[in-house]
Amino acid sequence: MEKLIEILEDIHPDVDYETCNDLIDGHILDSLSIISLVAELEDEFDITIPAVDIIPANFNSAAAMWKMIERLSEE
Amino acid sequence: MSLAQCLMAGKVSSLTSYFSLAYMLGFLPASCILYSLMPKAAKKYFLLAASLIFFWLISGKLVAYLLFAVLIIHYAGIWLERIAKERDEATALAEKTERKALKKAYKNRQRFVVAFAAVLLFGMLLTLKYSAFFTVNINTLLSLFHIDLQFEIPKYLMPIGISFYTMQAMSYVFDVYRGTVKADTNIFRLALYMSFFPQIVEGPICRYNETAEKLWNVESIKYKNLCFGLQRLLFGLMKKMVVADRLNSIVQTVFSYHDSFSGGYAAVAAVCYTVQLYMDFSGTMDAVIGTAEIFGVTMPENFKRPFFSRTISEFWKRWHITLGAWLKDYIFYPVSMSKPMKNLTSSARKKLGNHFGPLLAGSAALFCVWLFNGLWHGSAWNYIFFGMYHFVLILTGNIIEPLVRAVNTKLHINPESKPYKAMQILRTCVLVCIGEMFFRATGLRAGLSMFKKIFTDFTFYVKDTDIFTRYSFDVHDVIIVAAVLIIILGVSIANEKGICVRQKLAQSKPVVRWAVLYGLIMMIIIFGAYGIGYVPVDPIYANF
Repeated sequence: MEKLIEILEDIHPDVDYETCNDLIDGHILDSLSIISLVAELEDEFDITIPAVDIIPANFNSAAAMWKMIERLSEE
Repeated sequence: MSLAQCLMAGKVSSLTSYFSLAYMLGFLPASCILYSLMPKAAKKYFLLAASLIFFWLISGKLVAYLLFAVLIIHYAGIWLERIAKERDEATALAEKTERKALKKAYKNRQRFVVAFAAVLLFGMLLTLKYSAFFTVNINTLLSLFHIDLQFEIPKYLMPIGISFYTMQAMSYVFDVYRGTVKADTNIFRLALYMSFFPQIVEGPICRYNETAEKLWNVESIKYKNLCFGLQRLLFGLMKKMVVADRLNSIVQTVFSYHDSFSGGYAAVAAVCYTVQLYMDFSGTMDAVIGTAEIFGVTMPENFKRPFFSRTISEFWKRWHITLGAWLKDYIFYPVSMSKPMKNLTSSARKKLGNHFGPLLAGSAALFCVWLFNGLWHGSAWNYIFFGMYHFVLILTGNIIEPLVRAVNTKLHINPESKPYKAMQILRTCVLVCIGEMFFRATGLRAGLSMFKKIFTDFTFYVKDTDIFTRYSFDVHDVIIVAAVLIIILGVSIANEKGICVRQKLAQSKPVVRWAVLYGLIMMIIIFGAYGIGYVPVDPIYANF
């Protein structure tokens, strides 16, 4: 989780990722941030994020992202 | 041709408009009455039969293309799911280390099925809609290089709504491939999802999980649904008949004889066409969504007050929403998240930083989206130009975003202040009108000529005054259009502020509700553009 927060802060600083749960719905992360984020997460956690998982529910909060990472790591 | 002959030949062209008398007073009420008389279990089959009859009435034997598309996606879905099942069985028995390779092998098989379905579906669309355009351009290229070879330009009849239902068909195949929907073994349900008559001509482009089940589980028509549906339908009718069709004569005249009009008229025509297109398409969507509501089916919205957008990017999230969502889900993310693009993003981000790093992959994906978007609207260069125009605008917006932010900070400009927002909205509207001018122009050269005149000859004169006798737009039209636009603007502002006008109306006293309903009907009857002096206008998007 710490590594994830680090990546998020690198991509888009000045956001409280521990509490924010509308990163997509609140237009904090745009499509370009998502492109960066997916590339970084795949590299860092050795996972493949399929297009089907690129939905607001999976990216609205750091917790949701972490849940997705854990699920994809197990697959 | 007599009505009976038209019916037999499947050439009832007036039915293609959801606002024609044939549809409003014939097909729709007859469908609703017969639907109500059907036993509950037969209602869905009746809707399917009515939809296929409707399609046959407007397209004749071309209904075969639609049925073929249904067959393709039905078997592609089953094939994809069978592979997924085999994959799950194989991976359950395999060691964790082998799983990745196994999954990849099965994924490749699934990709082959998706490609096969895409070749057939897009092949049909490309052949019927674009072969003439491509052949003309190939012939031009051959002439340019003095090659003595010319291909005959093919002429195909194109079924109405093919651009819409092909997108719907592909979305189903992609979704089964991705595992977000289960393959439908019931071909009748799939056929109804593809052919539901209120949406077959102009969309919205629905996803399988949005409408298929709702359509298959339809119930009796409820009083509330009937009232709400009719109300929405009438609102759409007002937009289309009172505003869009009334503006048609001025738009048609200036764009057809653009050489005779000065730049001032070109600018007015661009604005009028933008309003006409919005009223026409969003009015049709109101009619479509309203009709579906009568049957108790909720369709996805296609418009969300686009002219309140602050940027072009936002505009496209509010205009033809279902097309934008399709392009985002099935083109933008798959292209920008492909392996080479991900590698590009990773390396570019290290060198160019967080903003410009992902911009390269994002731009490549955006280019594909807008090329597709332009071509989807029609097989002509002005449509491609229209797509590229919006691509450049959105890309420029992305590139200069940090600069704008820095300038705002430096000059202490609050981007959330009302004047700044108003300026952004006005700028977006102007840019949209320019884009629509190229979109409507009779060709790319005509569009460029009109655009040039706006800057070099912004006056109001007409070379050939005889042209004025060809159209019937006077001060009365201006007053009527302006009055209705004010009503629509009022409703839009209320909706934008989160006030649901329809809900408020439903809660009001019956006398108010009926007054509004009768007011709408009277307005359409008295001020609608029909009868002598008006040429019936086909819905604009039905031609795409």
